Amino acid sequence: MERREFLRAMAVLAATPKWLLAQQNTNAAPALPAPVPWTLGLNPRTPLPHTMIADTAGETIASFFSRVQFGTLSRLADAMLPRTADHPGALEAKTPQFIDFLIGKSPAVRGSLYIKGLNWLDAHARQDYKKPFAQIKTAQVDALVKPWLRTWMTDHPPTQTHADFINIAHADIRTATVNSQVWFDTLDPGRQEGTTQLYWSPIEPDIYAERPTSVHTRPTQNITPPPASHERRSYPK
Amino acid sequence: MTTQITDVLIIGSGHSGGMAAKTLTEKGIRCLMLNAGPIVDVTRQAQKKSPSELPFRGFKPPGKLEHVFQANEFNTNVWVDETEVPYTFNPANPYNWVRVRLFGGRSLFWSRQSFRLSDYEFKGKSHDGFGEDWPIDHAELSPFYSRVEEIFQVAGALDGPPQMPNGNFVLDDTPWSESMQRFIAAAKPMGVPVCKQRRANGRDGLASSVNLLLPDAERTGNLTSIQNAVVREITVDKNTGQPNGCRFIDRQSHREISVKARVVILAAGTLESTRLLLNSGLANSSGVVGHYLADQIYGAGLVCSVPEARGGNGRKNLMGGGAIIPRFRNISSKSDKFLRGYALNVTSATGPMGASNFAEYGEGLDRKMDEYAGSGFHMSIMGEVLARYENHVRINKQKTDAWGIPVLHVETRYSVNEFNMAADAVDAMSEVVHNAGFEVLAQNKIPNPPGYSIHEVGTCRMGEDPKKSVLNRWSQSHDHKNLWVVDGAGFTSTGWQNPTMTILALSMRASERLADEMKKGSV
Repeated sequence: MERREFLRAMAVLAATPKWLLAQQNTNAAPALPAPVPWTLGLNPRTPLPHTMIADTAGETIASFFSRVQFGTLSRLADAMLPRTADHPGALEAKTPQFIDFLIGKSPAVRGSLYIKGLNWLDAHARQDYKKPFAQIKTAQVDALVKPWLRTWMTDHPPTQTHADFINIAHADIRTATVNSQVWFDTLDPGRQEGTTQLYWSPIEPDIYAERPTSVHTRPTQNITPPPASHERRSYPK
Repeated sequence: MTTQITDVLIIGSGHSGGMAAKTLTEKGIRCLMLNAGPIVDVTRQAQKKSPSELPFRGFKPPGKLEHVFQANEFNTNVWVDETEVPYTFNPANPYNWVRVRLFGGRSLFWSRQSFRLSDYEFKGKSHDGFGEDWPIDHAELSPFYSRVEEIFQVAGALDGPPQMPNGNFVLDDTPWSESMQRFIAAAKPMGVPVCKQRRANGRDGLASSVNLLLPDAERTGNLTSIQNAVVREITVDKNTGQPNGCRFIDRQSHREISVKARVVILAAGTLESTRLLLNSGLANSSGVVGHYLADQIYGAGLVCSVPEARGGNGRKNLMGGGAIIPRFRNISSKSDKFLRGYALNVTSATGPMGASNFAEYGEGLDRKMDEYAGSGFHMSIMGEVLARYENHVRINKQKTDAWGIPVLHVETRYSVNEFNMAADAVDAMSEVVHNAGFEVLAQNKIPNPPGYSIHEVGTCRMGEDPKKSVLNRWSQSHDHKNLWVVDGAGFTSTGWQNPTMTILALSMRASERLADEMKKGSV
């Protein structure tokens, strides 16, 4: 820098009002009124507020299924797990709304299974009974749905078209209802205790874990026995 | 400033690493243990909750842990997140890699079934011509099994046939329930042995590295541990070409750190130890590292009902108890459908039965579940998967985990042998329960995807020939005398047995050998 330019710069600086210089430091933290950590006083004796399960107070806003699909799901849920003298039903547990939320967050293959299944049920009802599935009687629901019920072992639901949807939806409806707060509230204290399990909180989570480059692909399960033969040599030739 | 050099670096804190630490430190050897995850404190990190209190009503959070069938909303946070430490595979051949990185690893959550391998496994090739024999036999490993069984307080009866060797058990002399007696009587004419279950009691309900092994090592004053240490690679001395420590990354800060050691022990679990060797380019003069991945088929089985126990009549003497059916195929006869064999876990249940056992819903289902509660009788398979060269893992250089470490690509699938085995198990058990007068409610002949059993082994197999194996008979690298692999990677074959007792016995044996070698100055 030329000496002449340096002197000019110094002259400008000297003439600049202090309030204008202060604006260049807008990120400085305001002075605290006192050196009191904000958590001071929080301890095991600090009273905790009473809270409730969110969807017992409010309504889940269903957004994944169409209006017709949601109606079909609600009718199916009511037929599969109706209210009885012993327990609440799927509708009281707001199970259709919960499943709309759950399936909306699930992998696309799960959503597709539901959408195809619900559309198929509704089309079947319109064909056989000239009404949407949401409006048919329980005996009519049974006639459409029960032929597809199967028995199955854990992790191996039926793979046959329609039977897959009906049995998976039944399991989901049942789990969502039995695990709901309204169901829990009807249990005696001993049975309530029996439903509890050890829940693990995140354990020192890694704040860097959620990286867009670390996204895993999701394959489909291959259950067809491959044609491999155990007669083949099984070590390096 | 000089870098501190420890005697032995142990990577992994589960059963195999814990046993190595206990054995070596008790012999006066200083060990440094690294574990990729944090120490778990159940008083801070776990609390009892009802599923209704959880955001997903107990369902596994959508999109999380797609390949951990064992996961639910309660335990989601104990498993390794597949997005954090991904792995790849051909979508047509999925693999379920089920991992825990908490201090103590999977020893915190195992089923505690405790079996020895027999010479039908150690010398499998001699018996049926397939694969390779192990370089050791049951007699050689038996004293170590006995000491492990003492530490883990394994309960069982001395009722095993030769294919399920007896051990140093806390004797189980409880009587069989009537339903079990009927099952045993129906199985006997078919040559199906039914034995008492064998399970590690441990201490205070836990049989883990963190309560049975690591405290002993800590007491010696010779063990130092670091949590959240994600090992990137094993380092090598430029002059000798031998391993001399490792580089690791702090899980939370991502700071890279190196440590030095005279000896390196890999105990990170079969596939993580293998990944480390492959990423480090070590111990692979044979080209066998990563190959012969095998596990056990799970998922096939039956759910039955004992008719007399229905309607609330499942009294204590009628129902209850568990059993193990050890392998009975290809022992004294030869199947034309498959090699080796399978075992079955048998349970006479006293609780409610699952809804999927009935093709009903609504009030009809309620009535069925009420009627059948307390009458359940279950069988589930544990079948040997053949160790094949083509079933393998390799490094996928195109993809890294959250710490920039290249991930594994898993290429494995079950063969006709495993599918036939599963079908045979269900057919054989159907006949037994029919003869016992039980009603079959549900059955499944299709195994879960490979990896589900969490019994993956074999990718650094031991053997006498350095050209066809990675480790020698002592779990020591053929290529590097100061590199040892003490987890399930060293298995030459899987067997039907839960591998934990064998991993522990091999780790104890290897560690004692290492200690001797270090005292002699040969390592």
